[in-house]
Amino acid sequence: MNRTRAFLKKTAWALFTIIFVIILNFFLFRVLPGDPARAGIRDPRLKKEAIEMLRVRFGLDKPVINCFESLNPIQVGSCAVNPFDTQFFIYVRNLVQGELGISYHTNRPVTDILAERLWNTVLLIGAGQILSIIFGVALGIFAAWKARTSIDYLAVGSSLVAWSLPTFWLGIILLFWGSAHGFPLAGKATPGMSSMPLLQQWGDIARHMFLPTLTYTIVYMGEYTLIMRSSLMDVLSEDYILTAKAKGLNAFQILKDHALKNAMLPLVTVIAINLGFTVAGAIQIEAVFSWPGLGSAIYEAVVRRDFPVLQGAFLLIAVAVILANLIADLTYNFLDPRVQTE
Amino acid sequence: MESTIQSSEQNQLLARFSGFWQSFKKNRSGLIGLGMLVVILVMAIFAPLIAPYASSSTSSAGLSDIYNPPSAAHWFGTDDAGQDVFSNFIFGARVSLTVGFFAAFISIIIGGIFGLVAGFFGGRWENFIMRFTDIMLVIPDLPLMVVIVALTKPSLLNIIFVIGLLGWTTTARVVRSQTLAVKSRKFVLRARAIGAGKGHIVSHHILPLVMPILVVQAVLVVSLAILNESALSFIGLGDPTALSWGQMLNYAFGRGAMSTGAWWALVVPGFGIVWVVLGLTLLGQGLEKVLNPRLETHHLMQGRPSVQSEAGWDVAKKGTLLEVQNLSINYVNEGQPPARAVENVSFTLKEGELIGLVGESGCGKTTLMLSLLRLLPAAGQIVNGRVFFNGKDLVMLGDEELNDIRWKGISIVFQGAMNALNPVRTVGDQIAESITQHLPGFPKENIEARVIELLELVGIAADHKDHFAHQYSGGMRQRAMIAMALACNPQVIIADEPTTALDVMIQAQILELLDGLRKKLGLAIIFVTHDLGVVAEMCDKVLVMYGGVTAEYADVDIIYNNPKHPYTQELLKAFPDLTKPKKKLSSIPGYPPRLEALPAGCRFAPRCPSVFSRCHTEQPILHDLGNEHLASCHLLEASK
Repeated sequence: MNRTRAFLKKTAWALFTIIFVIILNFFLFRVLPGDPARAGIRDPRLKKEAIEMLRVRFGLDKPVINCFESLNPIQVGSCAVNPFDTQFFIYVRNLVQGELGISYHTNRPVTDILAERLWNTVLLIGAGQILSIIFGVALGIFAAWKARTSIDYLAVGSSLVAWSLPTFWLGIILLFWGSAHGFPLAGKATPGMSSMPLLQQWGDIARHMFLPTLTYTIVYMGEYTLIMRSSLMDVLSEDYILTAKAKGLNAFQILKDHALKNAMLPLVTVIAINLGFTVAGAIQIEAVFSWPGLGSAIYEAVVRRDFPVLQGAFLLIAVAVILANLIADLTYNFLDPRVQTE
Repeated sequence: MESTIQSSEQNQLLARFSGFWQSFKKNRSGLIGLGMLVVILVMAIFAPLIAPYASSSTSSAGLSDIYNPPSAAHWFGTDDAGQDVFSNFIFGARVSLTVGFFAAFISIIIGGIFGLVAGFFGGRWENFIMRFTDIMLVIPDLPLMVVIVALTKPSLLNIIFVIGLLGWTTTARVVRSQTLAVKSRKFVLRARAIGAGKGHIVSHHILPLVMPILVVQAVLVVSLAILNESALSFIGLGDPTALSWGQMLNYAFGRGAMSTGAWWALVVPGFGIVWVVLGLTLLGQGLEKVLNPRLETHHLMQGRPSVQSEAGWDVAKKGTLLEVQNLSINYVNEGQPPARAVENVSFTLKEGELIGLVGESGCGKTTLMLSLLRLLPAAGQIVNGRVFFNGKDLVMLGDEELNDIRWKGISIVFQGAMNALNPVRTVGDQIAESITQHLPGFPKENIEARVIELLELVGIAADHKDHFAHQYSGGMRQRAMIAMALACNPQVIIADEPTTALDVMIQAQILELLDGLRKKLGLAIIFVTHDLGVVAEMCDKVLVMYGGVTAEYADVDIIYNNPKHPYTQELLKAFPDLTKPKKKLSSIPGYPPRLEALPAGCRFAPRCPSVFSRCHTEQPILHDLGNEHLASCHLLEASK
């Protein structure tokens, strides 16, 4: 009963956050001055008819929302307008239908561009997260177990250094190193590979993925190590660990059966909170390695001032992070018996 | 008048700061971080004096100047515009640090105000602010920064504002929880009660206590801001007129440093970022450790090896199950003299016997009990003595053999079973674990029945088997612990104040239970308590400890009717006796000695009613009064 209620409450809250992001996304691009679609129509060289055509094409002939003609600068308009015939409503309706506009640069639907790239990012982040969690947790456990020995100091020190590395810079350094060792330097696959057998294609992708994933793993591993270490240190100083020791369990059994589950619980929350940072890392890594994902879509959109792509990519990333957060939150509830019955 | 108040406040502040510095000085990583930052700050402030070239010397650059490798003229080579990388690095520090500090300043102000308001006023304000914080925390910040900067002008000011306005979320959370914690402290409540204004309370009582955490937070926010600025610059959204480290990397990476192999143009600016961020992180960690000192210790840490400096007595006397001989335990902390927690304690335990271990809190009772199974915390060290159990000396036994004896031979019911049970495993599962651990031959299909049997033995219904500890009441947990302690049919149970946290009715139940089990199963029990009533009713023998040494050790009848040590006598005066209802109860003034400040002579001397001069200079030896009656008091020498 309580669990269902918590589930519904959390889901509702995530939905509310998504709506907030959708609204934010719309108004950011209407209020801030940079969009060339609107900058363009103020070009004095354009004829009146041309301006009108552009306005119609980008839907700018309609009022922004009820009562407002424009938000930058604010121009009050008629409140008697049909609210469904406003830019905001059309934006929302298009969103519901999965339309995110047309790219200025390639003239293709933004949805198509992002759909191609989404999975590449998921692949990169997925592989990087899994590896950094595995190695980070393992190192963290080891450091906590051997606390205040030289192993521990080494693990903590290197984790702090890894945490301090700017992601893109580590990528550049590894790219430099990789270029001397025959690794592919950009993209996801060697051109012409698609005619090769599937196994060879995968091998090629794996070779392309190696450096970006390595960058990702190093940068995020440090943080997981530190969190796992401190979480495990807390758990290992609990009374029930002393009970387990008194019961004659050896260190390995105590770690496995009594400490790890309890110590992993905070990590789930941290992984969820980290997803936002994770995306930030992906943008930088994809920019360095020209990995064809959402991050490099953002990078290219910035360079080309391709605002529909930027808007769409931001929305997609934000929604994905919110949903991933929700999943992590619900997983936590599921894992911790103390939450279940409260 | 005003000025004296002010100066005393200043003195207080100065004293607090110097106290803080004293403990910070001991923190190595914090000091290293501070040093790293000072170096870079000096470099940034005196940039024009240090840099070999002026900040923008493009005019003189020719094609041949581009990407020159490091040389005597250019220590770190030249960049894509033919400029000196080292000079740009030094001036770049100014830009990167400026962005970092100002953006963090904005974040800290916003986060601080939000956190204070939410924590102090609570209610609707808190709800609204924290909900908003939650939303902003979930939205990935770098993409949002990218969007906003891309839609506005990428000027330094803009970047500072965007990073600052989006970086306050964690600060708000941290400050709120600290404010909540501070708000309910006594002096704040008192200030409220005497009608102090809200502004006064916040500025005089809450802010000073929130400030330290805000400083730690600020250090971390600065490092995040610097990382964010460099990422934005690298993506191409930096201020083109301000050459920050990120911007240097952006130019070098975008303009062929990679293909020309000009590693110096890529490595040097990145090194600056790592240096500053690492310095800030170390400093933040150091400050945090000073503010929230945590003992970096846990139960799996390798303890100090036991030492036996004296030859022991003969191997255990016949008929005894457990024989403790001259056991001494020190707590050893680096930089401090060892604290003598237990000294020369001896006692014996026969089958089916119940010995009471009595003394005030802090007299070394728990330390003594933990040391029997070598369960001392990492700082604890057995420095002398033997613990014979069935003829084996546990002090020197190998780890594996000792693990066999733990729980199967001797089990423990810990003081306050509140946290002694694992919160994420069912109680039944934890009882079953001890059976599978020690009785490998036990048929698997019978384990569940055995667990139920054990639980019923201590009066817990079978269907509670699959519940978690938090679903149990305090008394049930204590009884579940006893059930677990009985699981492997041990010969000895150590019950370390098993009833202190419980109410009287349940205390009685548990005591009855333990006594019943002893008679039924032939258990030997060591019962640690400061309740003499319990001792009188159940125990065969009593060991009275004071300040880590044996005060008196004898049969229960001798202890009650003919106590020799003044401490035992005083303890008994504090205990109501039904046979003498008119007797006046009296407590012993003062407290047991602190371990780091033990008196030179008898440890009880400062509180002893019969104290004389010798007691202050010489520690009494343990006198054997016959009939296994031992006591340590100078008075006994005369009487013998």
